[in-house]
Amino acid sequence: MSTEVHTLIGAWALDAVDADERRQVEEHLTECASCAQEAGELREAVWRLSDVTLAEPPAALRERVLAEVRRTRQEAPLVSEPEAAPKPARRVPRLRLPRLRLAVGAAALAAVAAFAGVFATWAVLRPEESPTADRMTAVLEAPDAEVAYQEADGGGRVTVVASESLDEAVVVVSDLAAVDDDRSYQVWLVDEAGQESAGVMDAGDSSATMWIDGLGDTDLIGVTEEPAGGSAAPTLPMVADVALPA
Amino acid sequence: MFDTGAGPGPRREPRLTAVPDAGAATPEALLHRTALGEDAAFAALYDLMAPRVYGLCVRVLRDPAQAEEVAQEVLVEVWRTATRFDEHRGSAGAWITTIAHRRAVDRVRSAQAAGDRERRAAASSTETEYDSVVEAATSRLEHRQVRRCLKTLTELQRQAVTLAYYGGHTYRQVATLLEAAVPTVKTRIRDGLAKLRDCLEVAR
Ligand SMILES: [Zn+2]
Repeated sequence: MSTEVHTLIGAWALDAVDADERRQVEEHLTECASCAQEAGELREAVWRLSDVTLAEPPAALRERVLAEVRRTRQEAPLVSEPEAAPKPARRVPRLRLPRLRLAVGAAALAAVAAFAGVFATWAVLRPEESPTADRMTAVLEAPDAEVAYQEADGGGRVTVVASESLDEAVVVVSDLAAVDDDRSYQVWLVDEAGQESAGVMDAGDSSATMWIDGLGDTDLIGVTEEPAGGSAAPTLPMVADVALPA
Repeated sequence: MFDTGAGPGPRREPRLTAVPDAGAATPEALLHRTALGEDAAFAALYDLMAPRVYGLCVRVLRDPAQAEEVAQEVLVEVWRTATRFDEHRGSAGAWITTIAHRRAVDRVRSAQAAGDRERRAAASSTETEYDSVVEAATSRLEHRQVRRCLKTLTELQRQAVTLAYYGGHTYRQVATLLEAAVPTVKTRIRDGLAKLRDCLEVAR
């Protein structure tokens, strides 16, 4: 059957499949990297077909849309989208951490997710890392979830979504300055007493999503560049130090 | 309890930054700011993308009144779900246009299912479909790119792709229209899109 599904990628990209087939294809895309890659590429080509159909909409449409938007609430980000993107899977550092505590406001979730590329990573995670992904989902959907983020020195962004009630957080490190294969970014939990490693990213990686269990009294989450595999103590200065709302 | 998530922490120097303005004119940047609830960013995004959304709806639905309705739904959905956009997974243009195309096609299909709409499904419409598209595409560079790239496809590939995309037909319907075998059409569509992709990348 999967052979069958492969052959539908093109028709799917054109929305030329029926609802059943669409579901089959999108399910397949979450578990087949090569099809996901192809699907993403074809989508980028397909939309260009609309280059030749541009047409000025009636002026009244603008007013109607903007008016409706003013009274339309934006959705909280979803964890998965069926048309999973082509993206190389990244290993997710698994953290076993002492108590950490923070919280993130639900309203801000949307913003963070869009900014941080949370879902890109998640879409990739879901098939093989579902327990972790489930925990991440729980954090993002927690009613008391709050968000903090910071532009990192050298580029990229570090975003923290945390729930005080769960005592858990999701840290999204996205697109930091590129590092060679003999360097790793390392994430730290910092409180008054000092810091503790929250996890070491794969050498050479500049993006990762982490789930942190047990936030305790953490004041800020820092990221440093270290030799591959990480260090016992952070090499300063930090590339980013995201203050948690306290 | 905690204050706002994105605001400066009480103890640390706030190094948290506001939404950057640089590059704000790209659809991606506008979509990001839209996700933050910025009305102005959405209005700018509207100006950038509404002609594309509306034009595609007109093309697929062939009915300006319905197209306007669907375009409104699409653009409000863009606002509502901007929070889900992730530029690592594709361009904002692809994201928005995909929503528009799906909505338009869904509208066509449900109308077909309800039997309250007779869509012309004659093989003779094939050329019309393509020619009118090409004619509309004379002035702008992107138009020329797409038109040129469509020409790199074989006749059957091109017909299958344009019938499916602009006509809103399923690949089975396309097979009927072209009097070709269903598996053949599936393959031609896929191969045709691969060619289109390669060509557009070169042209970029
Ligand atoms: Zn596959």
